[in-house]
Amino acid sequence: MTDRQENLLLVLPGLLLLAVAFFVPIAQMLVLAFQGPEGPTLDHFRRFLGDEFYLGVLWRTVKLSTLITFWCLIIGFPLAYIMARVGPRARLWLVVMVILPLMTSVVIRTFGWMVVLSRSGLIPSTLRDFGLVGRSFSLMHTEAAIVIGMVQVLLPFMALSILGVMLRIDPRLEEAARTMGCGFLQAVRTVVFPLAVPGIVAGSLLVFTLSASSFITPNLLGGPRVQVLAASIYRQVTQTLDWNFAAAQAVILFAGVLLVLIPYIRLARRADG
Amino acid sequence: MVRAVPTPLRILAWVFVGLCAVFLLGPLVVVVGVSLSESRFVAFPPNGLSLQWYQRVLASDAYLAAGWLSLRVAVLVTISATLLGGAAAVAIHRRKLPGSEAMGAFFLSPLVLPTIIYAIGMLMLWSMLFGPVSVPVLWLAHTVIASPYVVRTTLAVLADSDPFLEEAAATMGAGRMQRLLLVVLPQCTPGLAAGAFFAFNVSFDEAVLSLFLRRPGMTTLPVQIYSELEFSPDPSVAAVSTIMILITIALILIIDRIVGVQKVASS
Amino acid sequence: MTPIKTLSLSAAATLMASAAFGQTLTINSFGGAYEEAHRKCIITPFEEATGANVQVVTAYSADGFAQLRAQRDAPQFDVIHFSGGQEIVAAAEGLLSPIDPASLSNVDGLVEAARPNLEGGEGPSYSIVALGLLYNAEVLDGPANWTDLTNPEWFENLVLTDMSNTYGMQGFLMLNQALGGSLDDIQPGLDAVAEMLDGGAIVVSTSPEIMQEFAQNDAWVAPYSSDYAFVLQDAGLPIGFNQAAEGTPGVYITANLVAGRPNQELALQLIDRSISPEAQVCFAEEMGYAPTNVNAELTGETAENTPFGAEALAGLVRFDPQVIEERRSEWVDAWNRTIAR
Repeated sequence: MTDRQENLLLVLPGLLLLAVAFFVPIAQMLVLAFQGPEGPTLDHFRRFLGDEFYLGVLWRTVKLSTLITFWCLIIGFPLAYIMARVGPRARLWLVVMVILPLMTSVVIRTFGWMVVLSRSGLIPSTLRDFGLVGRSFSLMHTEAAIVIGMVQVLLPFMALSILGVMLRIDPRLEEAARTMGCGFLQAVRTVVFPLAVPGIVAGSLLVFTLSASSFITPNLLGGPRVQVLAASIYRQVTQTLDWNFAAAQAVILFAGVLLVLIPYIRLARRADG
Repeated sequence: MVRAVPTPLRILAWVFVGLCAVFLLGPLVVVVGVSLSESRFVAFPPNGLSLQWYQRVLASDAYLAAGWLSLRVAVLVTISATLLGGAAAVAIHRRKLPGSEAMGAFFLSPLVLPTIIYAIGMLMLWSMLFGPVSVPVLWLAHTVIASPYVVRTTLAVLADSDPFLEEAAATMGAGRMQRLLLVVLPQCTPGLAAGAFFAFNVSFDEAVLSLFLRRPGMTTLPVQIYSELEFSPDPSVAAVSTIMILITIALILIIDRIVGVQKVASS
Repeated sequence: MTPIKTLSLSAAATLMASAAFGQTLTINSFGGAYEEAHRKCIITPFEEATGANVQVVTAYSADGFAQLRAQRDAPQFDVIHFSGGQEIVAAAEGLLSPIDPASLSNVDGLVEAARPNLEGGEGPSYSIVALGLLYNAEVLDGPANWTDLTNPEWFENLVLTDMSNTYGMQGFLMLNQALGGSLDDIQPGLDAVAEMLDGGAIVVSTSPEIMQEFAQNDAWVAPYSSDYAFVLQDAGLPIGFNQAAEGTPGVYITANLVAGRPNQELALQLIDRSISPEAQVCFAEEMGYAPTNVNAELTGETAENTPFGAEALAGLVRFDPQVIEERRSEWVDAWNRTIAR
């Protein structure tokens, strides 16, 4: 067996699965985007691109996904670093802490947020007690609610992706940098961060795509007034029954996410050397 | 532990961890609180204390059957996704095949589209070709959406691995199988473990594919919860989640007792 | 009657029953308390009478329709129940079988609106959900008119439902009509909604969120359905339900015969049972649904809260479902633009 055959053998089952069980069914759905009552058409795309409302939904989706990824990274990187550097027992409890949110059904977890964020919830009523906000202030049904709720759900994906890589970084490298006169933060920046880039890339890719495509949490926390694209697609499929338009939105989402991701992957690869 | 981390930074680190704990676990405290409520509606702080929702869930055949099905599917998915995704990641990482980079992106694509599109497409295709759906269809579909996690986490870990180890092993006469199992596999372990965990979780918590790819008697736990929401949105839904949280903690502690989690989590 | 005749009759009855014995029907129901009532009033008696086995998949109308459409080539449901007018689209797409009225023994009792197009495939309606005003009985006496919703003092405690939800759509159309609009002009309704939102009203899209608002967030009033008022009261919340003066829109729950299934005769028997007076009385008592069969006689408390009989049912408002289907996309876009922040 040659190297090439071995590699093919390794990758083929996965490729086949994706091609047959993902791309064929998806293609069947996505062609609907180009079908109208009288044959092939681009009307569904025209409807989307010609309507400020839907363009706004698209823009919000990209903006919020970027924000969510950013916050996951800001919180996830130091968290993963701490997890990698503490003793095994403390690490165990930190891992438990990070993965527990994943263990509750998304619907009920979102109910938890509704209780905390809505008008009489913990955060708004505390702010109100301090006289910082008005009587009817609520965080529910805002973009902030979506970001808060999604970061909590997606943080484990970022933190664990980085942790996997971080644990493989030899602590002696960092120590060497310190010995040679680096400050603590400088050592993290010049030694740990560059080595952790593959984990950061993996985590960001997962978080970004998941925030662009998930709809249950954004739908419940954002409400009908703050729609994201995935929620809009879900509505079109089940409520307004316009599958052609839903498929067109899916094509646009797919293209939109790729437009953001491809330059990011390129950039990350260059940084990775 | 690197010596001489400045003390203020150390304190800052623990404050940071504390804030993270509040942020991550806060909503879960609400969920646990709701599950103990006496009232029949979801309220926090709970009105009175009661374990009736736990009794209801544990006595309910529907919840138990759904939980059992979810567990079986999730275990199957974890195995298949880890095998397929892990193997693919190894091959992609070696960058010896044409289009390796494209393949890496390709394997991410099931995460890009909302699952509703995939669910409907899959149901259409399956009905057209084979008729009624069954558990294997769900297994297949969940494997599709779970394997990207394994591919990503494994690729990330491999990116830092030493490419010469395998060569060295080959020079010293290790066969292909030996090299894969004894050299490559240990290198992948942290990525595989994280990926497997995500895969299990994705399948166990997945509601949309399970909602559409089903027939009578084939209801997973998330779908069961969803089905109760419209006409009986009582705290038993919160009780189910609390039980899940407890099982998770128990499982982690048991694994720690037996093998030591740091081994699973770190390799 | 001679013993021999009795014997042969009962033998014939046994034979007829056993014709269905062991056969299986697959249907959808809506989960929770609804499904319990559905089993009690229709499914279990049907199984006992025919010996057939009914398998229930819990699927709301929207999800059920999506499944039906995707499974066009191999449908799994024999009878599918819709509450959002999906039968019109499904029938037009050929997913449902036409029903010969003569095959339903209870069809004559149905009001006209409950059987608009049996021959076209739209199944008969077996219960009606009345839409009105849900209110917190501890705070309000009970609003009497749809136009009361435009009272600015209530805006901060007003919960509206998104148009993607059937009840939201129907409630909106009713409000629009009360304010002088029509199916050709929904602007009066949209203008009012814009004002409500500016004043602090919120929009939700699912029933559990409405419960959450009443239980947790000091909601006073929400235009919504009688059955959900039932669910909230059952959960112990102080909720009242008023049918408003300008009219009560009815949302018709239909039982539809799926095309391309082998057991259509048995499925028709189940549909026939759904529209029988006994089943409907039972459903009214359990869930507060209005019967569609004029022969269903309600008594006691149920009779006070639930419209029944030809005259009361004729008083319900029904927006032309065909028009709704035609203009849905256009309305939803306009609605979205109005409510977007």
